[in-house]
Amino acid sequence: MMHGLLGRSGFWLCVLAAAALALPLVASPFAVDIGIRVALFAFIGVAWNLMGGYAKQLSLGHAAFFGLGAYTSTILLIRFDISPWIGMLAGGVVAMLASLPIGALCFRLRGPYFAIATIATAQVLMLLFLKFRDFAWGAEGTTIPNLGDAPLMMQFDGKAPYYYIALALLAIGLLITYAIERSWMGYYLVAVGEDEDAAEAIGVDALRMKRHIYLISAFLTALAGTFYVQYIYFIDPNVAFSFNISVEAALVSIVGGIGTLWGPVVGTVLLEPTSALLQSWLGSGRGGVQLTVYSLILVAVILYRPAGLIGLFTDIATRLVHGSQARTKEAPLDG
Amino acid sequence: MAEALAVRNLSRRFGGLRAVQDLSFSVNEGETLALIGPNGAGKTTSFNLITGYYRPDGGSVCAFGRELVGLRPHDICAHGLARTFQVARPFGKMTVLANVMTGALLRDHKLEVARQKAGEVIDFVGLTAKQHAPARDLTTIDQRRLELARALATQPRLLLLDEVMAGLNPAEIDQAVGLVGKLAQRGLTIVIVEHVMRAIMAVASHIVVLDHGQKIAEGNPREVVANQEVIRAYLGTGYAHAEPVGDARC
Amino acid sequence: MAATIAQAIVNGLLIGGIYALVSIGVSLIFGVVKIVNFAQGEFVMIGMYISFFLATTFGVDPLVSLVVSMPVLFVIGVLLQHFLIRRVLALGDMPQIFLTFAISLLLLNLALLLFTANYRTIQTAYSDTAIEIGGVYVAKLIAFVVAMLLSALLWLFLHATDLGKAMRAAAQNRDVAMLMGINPDRVFCVAVGVALALAGAAGSLLMPFYPAYPMVGQVFVLMAFVAVVLGTLGNISGALIASLMMGVAESLGIQFVGADSGLIVVFALLLLTLALRPSGLFGGWTR
Repeated sequence: MMHGLLGRSGFWLCVLAAAALALPLVASPFAVDIGIRVALFAFIGVAWNLMGGYAKQLSLGHAAFFGLGAYTSTILLIRFDISPWIGMLAGGVVAMLASLPIGALCFRLRGPYFAIATIATAQVLMLLFLKFRDFAWGAEGTTIPNLGDAPLMMQFDGKAPYYYIALALLAIGLLITYAIERSWMGYYLVAVGEDEDAAEAIGVDALRMKRHIYLISAFLTALAGTFYVQYIYFIDPNVAFSFNISVEAALVSIVGGIGTLWGPVVGTVLLEPTSALLQSWLGSGRGGVQLTVYSLILVAVILYRPAGLIGLFTDIATRLVHGSQARTKEAPLDG
Repeated sequence: MAEALAVRNLSRRFGGLRAVQDLSFSVNEGETLALIGPNGAGKTTSFNLITGYYRPDGGSVCAFGRELVGLRPHDICAHGLARTFQVARPFGKMTVLANVMTGALLRDHKLEVARQKAGEVIDFVGLTAKQHAPARDLTTIDQRRLELARALATQPRLLLLDEVMAGLNPAEIDQAVGLVGKLAQRGLTIVIVEHVMRAIMAVASHIVVLDHGQKIAEGNPREVVANQEVIRAYLGTGYAHAEPVGDARC
Repeated sequence: MAATIAQAIVNGLLIGGIYALVSIGVSLIFGVVKIVNFAQGEFVMIGMYISFFLATTFGVDPLVSLVVSMPVLFVIGVLLQHFLIRRVLALGDMPQIFLTFAISLLLLNLALLLFTANYRTIQTAYSDTAIEIGGVYVAKLIAFVVAMLLSALLWLFLHATDLGKAMRAAAQNRDVAMLMGINPDRVFCVAVGVALALAGAAGSLLMPFYPAYPMVGQVFVLMAFVAVVLGTLGNISGALIASLMMGVAESLGIQFVGADSGLIVVFALLLLTLALRPSGLFGGWTR
């Protein structure tokens, strides 16, 4: 990737981008819908990956931020007529603020117990919002008013605009990850993820790093929440704080390539269309199919390719593009 | 000569075990102090107390004029104390160069500067040929070198080395002793925990002996080796009156 | 008023006994194998379904079905450790967390596919019987007594048998244990087997008064985790005591705050523990 836009990887990147941008022009609405899901969940995965992949803080409660983003923008929209574009940013800020006390508590635990604590926080938020009838509609949730084609209020006719927004979010997420990966922050984050105590010994303020990356991760995840509500025109606590979202956020990164730039994208490209196709074949009547398949894939990946499937693809790709003298490692961590 | 490190009445217990009891010693700038003692004497615990990984129950640690007790390890490192761990803890996913750069980033966040500084340190410890290898692929002794390089990259004023020579063959020990000697020549204050007597004799100007968490002897190498208490601690009462033979070889 | 409190406390203790079985299993696996079993609740669920089907097909009383559910789950545990968990032991946090997590997801969703989300209940002769004093349900009382019996048996096993002592040795220091000739894989298999057998027992004991459904494990595993954190990681008796405490706290919460406040009480406990005493009630020294 050091070759930049002029090198071979830059070339393929442009091809990929062109293909992605062209999708709505050539595909059916069903395919575009899948494209939206892929872009959105890849974005959520990228946001998760900053925490879970680089800093190895394995959160299973990212739905907390997704939901906070979704509810903030919806409340601002319905109660105060504020555009979801602003609501999206507000939601991001709310999520960032929430990540501070959540982190303060959860970072006291390491490893699996951190994961459990994050699950608990997402659940607590769900419970709270189930109870809040006063300004958050409680368990029934609410729909957002259909304004037809209203770009300033983040509503559009047709799926293509939504697709491009999701793609833009993904691009932002990838850019941020790329920038961090190549900065001193990237080194510090990976150090904390590899061995927190050893990192402290060379001057890394582990707690501060975790806090900072949590802020960024929470912010991005909240943006996804707002987008989702705008896309499906509905919100309730079960959807907003859904454990499935927390799982998928982690899953796509793990399956694709935890701690890598493109890992979450690879994972989503593999998992989302698979699940969409499964649902259309088997019908959504049979609950549990999607997650059964996901969990089987997860078990397989963990047992046979814990670093994620991206290794497989970069091997193939570099062999095709560069021939046999391929360096398969990502540049930044090479020094 | 100024005092680099002053440990006073340091204590720490773990449940019923008094790991460190009322420990006091000091190190002058530019000096190399060896901290020795039988296994379980409290040497690594002392390091952990000094560098902020454990909180002492009592006592103080003063380095370059500043009280360290209560500070977190990264602050203590920023203040100029770097340590290595008894079992090397490299950031396996990163290359050797990246590992050392992470250390260098403490003093300057600019990657280019860090890269250059890291290169110098890597040359010093002799890992230049392997600088692009992933750290997890290194041999144990190279991981030790990496550990040292990473610590040095933080530009410490005081270096704490925890059993860097363990398991090395005589040639490797000589190399390591050479490195430590060069560091000392540059004016670095060094505290080493060691079992390898010939290394200690070669580098240390001053020795503190611990047993069961307490200091039982202190002095220059000659004095300490002949000290009855020290002999008793290491070898048992039966050897207490034995004469030391030649230079101690293990 | 006092009677209501007393009854809430007693009820809390009784259900706490069940929580204890689940959390002791988590604690045992964590202590010996050093991984957190996210799927522990799903094994409770399996125990429940086993007892359910034995009851509806053969008319077997759930208590009796213990002799089926416990061995079956023991075997599942051994297989789980030997074929799956063993492969990730050297790999670090992420694979270990996500393996048992994936198994949890898999079992839950398989159950959803196979059995649907419907609640399954059984009625035994004593399901609705309550004893004179305090109106305590007999089924719950039996469950508690059996749970405590099993806990006591576990304690005996760990302290009085060679294999049990080997387990404790491996928990304290795996390398030294290996030097002493203890085969870690064998010890781990037994540990996981026992932990899952306890989960299965919890399931069977619950059937007379609790419905079986695919998600049931999630509630219990959450309780178990909080109990394990509260009781200090790796401390089995701590898990037991914390479980009982949590049962009481939940019961009092339901009684005085509201019917669905049980979970909130539990979370509040977890958050308080994290905030004030992260190493748990019996935690020793921290930094």
